[in-house]
Amino acid sequence: MTGFLQNTFNGLVSGAFYALLALGLAVIFGMLRVVNFAHGAFYMLGAFGAYVLLSEAGVPFWAALVIMPLGLGLLGMALERAVIHWLTRLDPLYNFLLTFGLTLILQDLVKSRYGVQSSPYATPSALSGSVDFGLFDFPAYRVFILGFAVLVCVAVWWVLTRTRVGMVVRAATERPELTPAFGINVGRWVTPVFGFGIALAGLAGVLAAPMRAVNPLMGADLIIVVFAVVVIGGLGSIFGSVAAGFGIGLVQAWGEAYLSDFPIVSQTIVFVVMAVVLLWRPAGLFGREEAPA
Amino acid sequence: MTSTVDTPEKAGRPAHRSGLVAAARAPRWIRYALLAVGLAAALWLPNGLYPAVAVDILCWALFAVAVDLLLGFTGLMSFGHAAFWGASAYVTGLVAIHAGLPFPVAVLAGALAAALLAVPIGYLAVKRTGIYFAMVTLAFAQMVYYVANEWRSVTQGENGLQGVPRALFGLDLTDDYYFYYAILPIVLLGLAAAWRIVHSPFGRVLVGIRDNPARARALGYPVHRYKLTAFVLSGFIAGLGGGLFAVGHRFVSLDVLHWTTSGKAVIVVVLGGIGTLWGAVLGAALVVRLEDWLSFSGFEAIGLVTGGIFVLVVLLFRRGIWGSAVVLARRWLARRHR
Amino acid sequence: MRRTVGVVAASAAVVLVAGCGGGGPQSGGDQELTGDKIVLGVLNDQSGAYSELSGRNSVKAVEMAIADFKTKHGDQAVTKEITVETADHQNKPDVANSKAAEMYDRKGVDIILDVPTSSAALKVADVAKEKKKLYFNIGAATTELTGKSCNKYTFHYAYDTYMLANGTGKVTTEQVGKNWYILYPNYAFGQDMEKSFTAAITAAGGQVVGKDGAPFPNTSGDYSTYLLKAPGLNPKPQVLGTMQAGAELVNVVKQYNEFKLRDKGVGLAVGLMFITDIHSLTPAALAGTTYTDAWYWNFDQTNREFADRFQKETGTRPSFAHAANYSAATQYLEAVQAAGTDDADTVVKQLEGKEVNDVFLRNGKIRAEDHRVIHDAYLAQVKPQAEVTEPWDYVKVLETIPAAEAFAAPSPDCKL
Repeated sequence: MTGFLQNTFNGLVSGAFYALLALGLAVIFGMLRVVNFAHGAFYMLGAFGAYVLLSEAGVPFWAALVIMPLGLGLLGMALERAVIHWLTRLDPLYNFLLTFGLTLILQDLVKSRYGVQSSPYATPSALSGSVDFGLFDFPAYRVFILGFAVLVCVAVWWVLTRTRVGMVVRAATERPELTPAFGINVGRWVTPVFGFGIALAGLAGVLAAPMRAVNPLMGADLIIVVFAVVVIGGLGSIFGSVAAGFGIGLVQAWGEAYLSDFPIVSQTIVFVVMAVVLLWRPAGLFGREEAPA
Repeated sequence: MTSTVDTPEKAGRPAHRSGLVAAARAPRWIRYALLAVGLAAALWLPNGLYPAVAVDILCWALFAVAVDLLLGFTGLMSFGHAAFWGASAYVTGLVAIHAGLPFPVAVLAGALAAALLAVPIGYLAVKRTGIYFAMVTLAFAQMVYYVANEWRSVTQGENGLQGVPRALFGLDLTDDYYFYYAILPIVLLGLAAAWRIVHSPFGRVLVGIRDNPARARALGYPVHRYKLTAFVLSGFIAGLGGGLFAVGHRFVSLDVLHWTTSGKAVIVVVLGGIGTLWGAVLGAALVVRLEDWLSFSGFEAIGLVTGGIFVLVVLLFRRGIWGSAVVLARRWLARRHR
Repeated sequence: MRRTVGVVAASAAVVLVAGCGGGGPQSGGDQELTGDKIVLGVLNDQSGAYSELSGRNSVKAVEMAIADFKTKHGDQAVTKEITVETADHQNKPDVANSKAAEMYDRKGVDIILDVPTSSAALKVADVAKEKKKLYFNIGAATTELTGKSCNKYTFHYAYDTYMLANGTGKVTTEQVGKNWYILYPNYAFGQDMEKSFTAAITAAGGQVVGKDGAPFPNTSGDYSTYLLKAPGLNPKPQVLGTMQAGAELVNVVKQYNEFKLRDKGVGLAVGLMFITDIHSLTPAALAGTTYTDAWYWNFDQTNREFADRFQKETGTRPSFAHAANYSAATQYLEAVQAAGTDDADTVVKQLEGKEVNDVFLRNGKIRAEDHRVIHDAYLAQVKPQAEVTEPWDYVKVLETIPAAEAFAAPSPDCKL
């Protein structure tokens, strides 16, 4: 039982990263119809930025947790204005390809400056202990990640449902043709929303720095899994992407723990689930109908 | 229909240019001249290039044409075609090693296996369109990658399938120069098949589906079944390329299944020109040659170059090399006629 | 008419593509000192995961070897013209395949050095055999190079999975604890390592109480399932042996510390670790960890002098791969010097059975039976942070493993 709870907890922690990344993808897709291939690269930039801030300017984890998402958010907005914007009127495939090219560039830029070797990043001292849950104790940093990610997801949900900005975003996501007809200036919100999605990826990156290897390729394979996650959740669905993120984290952790003789299971389970979902509900678990793409 | 070329790209629709329409309308003698130039170039290639690189170009040309068949003529962007290229490479390798059959037979077996694999993946994938289709194919290809990685008793895992023979009725094909000419007929057959598909009534329906799926459905065409057939045919042609690639390198490694391989195929097509078929061939030649040059150049950031070229092409030359050349030619001619 | 320009542009592009190549069908030929010069080829990863522990700095090391050779032999040198060709194989076996063939055929390369990544290494061995040209592998770990896939022209220089497992498995079992839990990445390298470790541990009187193959590549980057399981096993393992390498090793160690396994009485032993890995994890994260090293830059004065020169050239301390590349280039040049020709068969005869001592090879011998180059190996332990007095000096050598024990006996599978 203790073992099961521990594995469940770990699954939720892994799921927290999937959820934050999938949420960013979903928000961007909802507003811009852009599937951001470079999302993994921005996750990497978040982690790398935290490392550079710490090693070259002595900026601690807590400050990086604020600075990096903000900085990357601004970078994302600049990118949206500079290039993404040019292509949003065309087939979304072009932006998919553009961000794929950007991924190669970003990875290589970091690689040529800092090399491929993983860079060191220590757990912040305040969180280096353990939390005692009675039945078992658990690293404090993991508890923090889980709590923080849930908080961010709830906050995003609150913004989307309770504020005017959120209503515009939701309207634009769900009824892209109709919304401008009501005189709502959707275009004004496109750039900030893109920046916000990137900021979420950067945030996930900073959170990952103390517990994952920080190197230029850390987001490269991860993004494929996140793609599967959003397909499962329903690409247009913001709630779906978060739920699927946590769900896939759980399923993978259980697979690793209870089917450890078959590592193939935890590697491919996300794709199997995706295939099943596609057969059963082509629009994803929480997606309504196919968004025009 | 040529008007599609010059109208500004409409929102929500792929900006495909109908190279096939132009080719069909060009006078017969020009088409023959074009064919002659292409054949001459193909025959001469290993004399001007390092033969191993020339062999790679042939294999990648098939792969790119297969991707273009879907992307350019069916409007489906597969970001997971490495699954078919790689699956065929493995099957070809295994058949050649264990059955000792002549390599064209092994390659055919590989391509058939790839087509077979394309059936279930295609069946699921064609339920989605556009960007979803790209993501779904990507995820399935990654799944195939993990299975090959895990199924070590068959694929030799990370060490790769070593020692794939180049058997052909006792001929000595160890020199890549001669091997090039041995596979050229197979590649030309593959390319001709792709051309035939595009110019058949079936191909016309595909283009119709690409341009307006609702209308095609209203006209009574089973859209899903058409797409699936195109997907399987494309898997077969990619498989031909992958099988030849395995025999060409005399081994198979997991890289053939990695998603970066799928990405490279799409880069090749976009660079050459989506929906032009021959542009894909040209793109393959350029990309393979460029990579060969880069790896000897001492320049470390290969991704910076390929990524940079890609971003520029997507932003500025969406028609690709072939498409742009066609448009320029048209403009020039139109001005002269005036 | 409308297509003519397109045709012209397209065929011009084809000509352009091909034009950069030049030359016709190639055929290799062995002459006395081909072109009156020696060309050394370094084929390795210059942009990916192994580019730091070997990569372009290995090219520098080979250049150092050439300079030293020229200084040593002066006018007596077999030739004045010794050059280096280099290519990036990006860890892709198909790229390694074409590059190796191209190096031998077109760049006039007499010997290819380095080639990390087992799949690429095995492929290049095939090419060397076919082209009848020399190949010293340094960067790859697979014992197949001197087993099933061995051939007359291939030599395996620095290390292999047996060497890594044998030293660490044996000494750690004797000194740290008898009960092991082994965590390995589930692919060829990891499985070989797991088998070699288990054999070494059992031979030393220990036992493996549990082992798990983690997914490879591990996209989630999470190892907590295994790390949580380890302390609960019965009997409780005293050592966690991790076979992960590179970024995956970094993930395992980070999470090992997160779950405080050391405090729970589970020590850490690592299958394959480079000085660059310790640098990125910081010694503090790894203090007390044992592993087998093929060479350490601060082991003695000879090594240190080489390391100082290397640092002047490159700005960093050498990994064992750098030193091994230097040594391999030197030994090849000396063999050509002694033979008076670069004819591969003659040079192979010169090399076989030779006993060598240089900065990398201590009590070294080039085995004639399987072309394994054996030499002393070192059981190393990462120092506690407090004992680290200068950058990059992260380990102390606990024990020197004599050459004869460090490597396995020649495999019966190998028929040269």
